[in-house]
Amino acid sequence: MNLRNELLAVWAVTLRNALMGARNVFFFFELLFWPIVGVLSIGLMSRFLELTEAQASFVLVGTIALSVVNVCQLEVAYAVLLDVWSKSLKHQFLAPIGIRHLTLGSWVVGMVRSLAVFVLLAALGRWAFGFQVLQPGWVALATFLLGCFLTAWVVGVAVCALITLFGNRAEAFAWASVNLVLVLAGIYYPVSVLPDFIAALARAIPLTYFLDAYRSHYGFPSEFGSPIATGLVLSVIYAALAHWAFLAAIQRARRTGLLLKMSE
Amino acid sequence: MVSSLGMLAIDARDVEKTFRSGWPRRRETHALRGVSLAVERGAIVGLLGPNGAGKTTLLSILATLLTPDRGTVKVLGLDVVREAPALRRRLNMASGRPSFLWSLRVGEIIAFYGRLYGLSGVALRRRVDALIELTELSPYRRVPYSDLSTGLKQRVALAKSLVNDPELLFLDEPTLGLDPDVAVRVREHIARLRREQGITIVLTTHNMREADELCDEIAFIKGGRILARGTSGELKRQIRLGEVVALRLDPARVPWLAEVPGVLRCVEVDGWVECTVDEAEKRLPELLRALHADGVLIRNVQVREPELEEVFVELAK
Repeated sequence: MNLRNELLAVWAVTLRNALMGARNVFFFFELLFWPIVGVLSIGLMSRFLELTEAQASFVLVGTIALSVVNVCQLEVAYAVLLDVWSKSLKHQFLAPIGIRHLTLGSWVVGMVRSLAVFVLLAALGRWAFGFQVLQPGWVALATFLLGCFLTAWVVGVAVCALITLFGNRAEAFAWASVNLVLVLAGIYYPVSVLPDFIAALARAIPLTYFLDAYRSHYGFPSEFGSPIATGLVLSVIYAALAHWAFLAAIQRARRTGLLLKMSE
Repeated sequence: MVSSLGMLAIDARDVEKTFRSGWPRRRETHALRGVSLAVERGAIVGLLGPNGAGKTTLLSILATLLTPDRGTVKVLGLDVVREAPALRRRLNMASGRPSFLWSLRVGEIIAFYGRLYGLSGVALRRRVDALIELTELSPYRRVPYSDLSTGLKQRVALAKSLVNDPELLFLDEPTLGLDPDVAVRVREHIARLRREQGITIVLTTHNMREADELCDEIAFIKGGRILARGTSGELKRQIRLGEVVALRLDPARVPWLAEVPGVLRCVEVDGWVECTVDEAEKRLPELLRALHADGVLIRNVQVREPELEEVFVELAK
């Protein structure tokens, strides 16, 4: 494995996704419109319900996490979706490109874009609702963002695997999957309010632990022991599983001819 | 197509591929049924056949885009399944129905693929410049792919397919939908690639003139099997279409010509009577004697081999 070629392939995907994103007006909607609408509506609702500052922070953390994860995971899913939409999948997989290049390159763009979303929403939250994202400190914030990015990476790669496995039919899953994960992870509520069997599912999601750790700095006691370590371990396990699934899906697509069919 | 094993660019043996679709009732399409193909390095080989014959399936297996169900396929000495990642660095493909990311500009598309093949900095810029010049895309360098005409898109595909200086190039209908003058230039370029760089080229085409003009050898595929293969001349002889004796006569119509021994059929084309005979060298003197004896004036005589298109039609029956 040549490190220079590895980095070049990742950079090629990064640059490609960044250029595509910069030239598509709908990408700006993803980046600005929905996240801003989310923070404004949840912030206003918390004001109407006369939530305490800590409670308002609790739900705003969830709202911001939702946007950050959503934007980042979509970008990872674009690793395959862009080529599916433009029917260029076979050219991509004819070249010496591995799924690590695709997912890492897309993830880099996803992190940059979702970081921009985060800064924007944090500023909006502070200006409109007095929400302080830096209250827990830089380390806690960086860890929380890392948790969001890792969750997005896992979900995005899983979506890539599903699209490669089932073709365009699975595209809707790209839009819906992240919301399911976020609902289970407890974006607007603590996991303890969920019914037992759903709470068990929530405990299997890394984001649950990163949200828990970050919110503990706003006065909500942690529901888990060592949430950050647990979240990191789960993220690594799921990332490995998602990449294995993506690789297996591509091999299957080469066997069934789906790779060619999606390029016609 | 085989000379010595060490010189083979492609060595495919007994390749089978079946596609399964539909649920709950499974449909099976046998795309390839035991295809064997050997291609020498530096050759241009054409895969001809009607739609659905299995040409693109075979090309896709050779290019590592599909895995075969059975058989062994070695390309440039590497196994297409087990050693696919190493192989992909050494081959490339251009399709007659190309498609790339629509918002990217011509230069960006070529540069993207260049990076995947390890090019960067000045080397990448020079390579992109050279390919854009070669494929006459300079005025379109900054034009988004979605704004290009079909012919220009095909030129982008050709430029992309050369970005890694491939040892083996697959061209799937390379001149499909191109204006005649552009198609001629593309054909000239394909011939030059082999002549100057020694690239092995495998192409599929429906254009018989293209196959006749470009290919050292032709494999005719139908129903997932190679029915015939050889040079254009060999194919014409294998199919036993005979030779064509074209006569310009006065009077123009001679009804008994088709009854002469050795004459397989006679048709009138643009004032010429074209008689397909089993052996022109033997039958021509007999025909001329018979015509002379009947008082028919012979104004012109031509003898030619049948067109490759006629071979195609005969094999596709």
